[in-house]
Amino acid sequence: MTSHKYDVVIVGSGASGGAVAYTLCKAGYKVAVLEKGRLIKRDEFSKDELAYCRRDIVTPNLFDEYHVIEEEVDGKWEATPTYDSGWSFWNGNVVGGSSNFMSGMLHRMHPDDFRLKSKYGEIKGANVVDWPISYADMEPYYLKAEEVVGISGKYEKHPFEPPRSTPDFTQPPTKENAVVKLLDKSCANLDIKSLVTARSVLSKNKGHREACYYSNFCGSYGCSSGAKGSSREALLMPALATGNLTLLSNSYVKLLHSSSKNAVDYAVVIDTVSGKEKRIEAKLFVVAAQAHESTRLLLNSANKFHPHGLGNSSGELGKNLIFSAGGSGQGELREESLKMIKFEELMQTGLFVNRSILDWYFVDHWWDGTFKGGSVEFMFEHQNIISRARKNNEEHGRLVWGSELGEKVTERFTKQKSIRFEIFNDWLPNDNCFVSLDKTHKDKYGMPVGKLRVGAHPQDLKVGKYIAKKCEKVLEEMGAKNIYSSVSPVPPQNLIAGGCRFGNDPETSILNKYCQSHDIPNLFVADASFMPTGGSVPYTWTIYANAFRVADQIVKVLEEKQIV
Amino acid sequence: MKRRNFLILGSVLSLSPYIDAKASNDFEKQFRKVKNLIAAVQSHMFPEGSKIPSASAMDVNTFLFETITHKSYDKDIRVFILEGAEELELQTKGRFLSMDTKEKEKALRTYENTSYGSNWLSRIMTVTMEGIFSDPVYGSNKKEAGWKALNAYGGLPRPKTRYVAL
Repeated sequence: MTSHKYDVVIVGSGASGGAVAYTLCKAGYKVAVLEKGRLIKRDEFSKDELAYCRRDIVTPNLFDEYHVIEEEVDGKWEATPTYDSGWSFWNGNVVGGSSNFMSGMLHRMHPDDFRLKSKYGEIKGANVVDWPISYADMEPYYLKAEEVVGISGKYEKHPFEPPRSTPDFTQPPTKENAVVKLLDKSCANLDIKSLVTARSVLSKNKGHREACYYSNFCGSYGCSSGAKGSSREALLMPALATGNLTLLSNSYVKLLHSSSKNAVDYAVVIDTVSGKEKRIEAKLFVVAAQAHESTRLLLNSANKFHPHGLGNSSGELGKNLIFSAGGSGQGELREESLKMIKFEELMQTGLFVNRSILDWYFVDHWWDGTFKGGSVEFMFEHQNIISRARKNNEEHGRLVWGSELGEKVTERFTKQKSIRFEIFNDWLPNDNCFVSLDKTHKDKYGMPVGKLRVGAHPQDLKVGKYIAKKCEKVLEEMGAKNIYSSVSPVPPQNLIAGGCRFGNDPETSILNKYCQSHDIPNLFVADASFMPTGGSVPYTWTIYANAFRVADQIVKVLEEKQIV
Repeated sequence: MKRRNFLILGSVLSLSPYIDAKASNDFEKQFRKVKNLIAAVQSHMFPEGSKIPSASAMDVNTFLFETITHKSYDKDIRVFILEGAEELELQTKGRFLSMDTKEKEKALRTYENTSYGSNWLSRIMTVTMEGIFSDPVYGSNKKEAGWKALNAYGGLPRPKTRYVAL
């Protein structure tokens, strides 16, 4: 028996890595979390738009580290490195990962999302399968995430609202802008049920974290009170308090090394500050680097025992990458035509909209047909000042400048507020959406970069457009002006999953139902990579929940000394 | 989308001397040659007497220089900003600075007819707005005049250093 400094090494400190670290450290195991980025502490965060939203401060410079994206152009797949397009696929490479910067609008997946194929049958051109677990297996962990991460909300009965094992959230919803009166009434007029959105933002103090202070700049920014349920605040800090966690920031993992067929024995790690390379050994390894990067790491870890990448005896590694399909739209609530509420109330800053619609999650209509739909979130347009000032300042293809620009910009900020919706529907897994290694491009550490083909299934667009039309009606009913929406097959790079499907059959999946490699027992993948289908809601709650579930299994494996 | 195409195509300068201007004082030297021209374009876009603060009152020219020379700024766009200015200088036969407002308007609108010129003008406008509406810690948006004009203020806590002390 070898003695290790660590029982478990976790690659990545985001939502899933944090949930595994939290559970294992509380259970008394020695854990090292390896995070490529640096640590930004709560009191170091600020609402600096220029730094956080307009420069790559919390993500790598694209000339150093990047992806290659393959898009279909005139029937051909065209590959473009992201340093060339400026389209970054990084989402917050600091301790806590992108959970630091989320808006935190969360939903559980619906029970039928776990059995999409049984429920809706085959869809031509899509690789839809049922999950090897059911909602009942996940429910206790949704609840655990709700309580540990601190998700606020209010349960309302709705045919498409997943059932829950406790009556309601322990944290009530965050405070809401008066616009919800207008939104709720407008929905009711259209016979639509608006629901309170659950949000991973505390409305009340919780342990070392303080309640939301309604800064008006939540999404894209780190939280300065600890209210946001980031992995850093909610999971890593308590894990550190156990004394069992070693948090290694500025640690880039090149590959996982194995000297036998059945086990990973160490991670090859580069200190990003000194450039020095070292080995970190452990009994068990958990990959949690965000879907596309987790697959890339396993591919880059290929060796003579696993020539096509770690745990890839099925040849499925990287396949069936998914994003979230849908789109968004918005309209202006203008001072002169505002109904029901006062303009001053509308203009009050910082308060949330907290509303979603699940009415079209499953569509069964005499005319429209029967199909899987999606969910909708309502929010104000992001309140960033520079980006709002920069919008809509072209007329007839020409820039507006001079005093005309002054008129336009001040009008935009003082005479209206834009209300927005975002649609989330299934990104159907298909043969044209996958991640592989680029054959020529390497990052600054000399490792091949991930190449992402991002093809979408035509059904995704149809569903998105169907829902967008309904949402435009809601905005119209609210009295909004200049309404527009956009639904496109362009993937949102911050909502990414799949690539290491879980399943019961080692021939067709990478991971077993506990997200443990079929091929290598001491290797787990804890992030959203496991998801064969994505549901029609943002992934975060499911990522937290599943990682708690995986962590319990890891504890079991370690307790039973299945791995020594 | 190949972003970098617009940085190259359309310029009459085939090979840029700025690409090689690696050392920052080299860049500063190059910048000094077009500094006044860029300042004049910024002033034309953000004049006195508008509902938003003027370019000169907000010292956006200094902001522009400090911003594009910071390591967080895209190195190709940094070069593009200088090249685009040089290109405008060429197209206006070195007369831009001595033009009156009407002539400047005409010259800039002519420049805007090419996608190269249009991209450059758009970039100058963006960097200038980044100054006027970013936190005053970046040196522009003096006394929060930009924010006051819009009745929109940056959130708390405000940054104490530029670029998270990168």
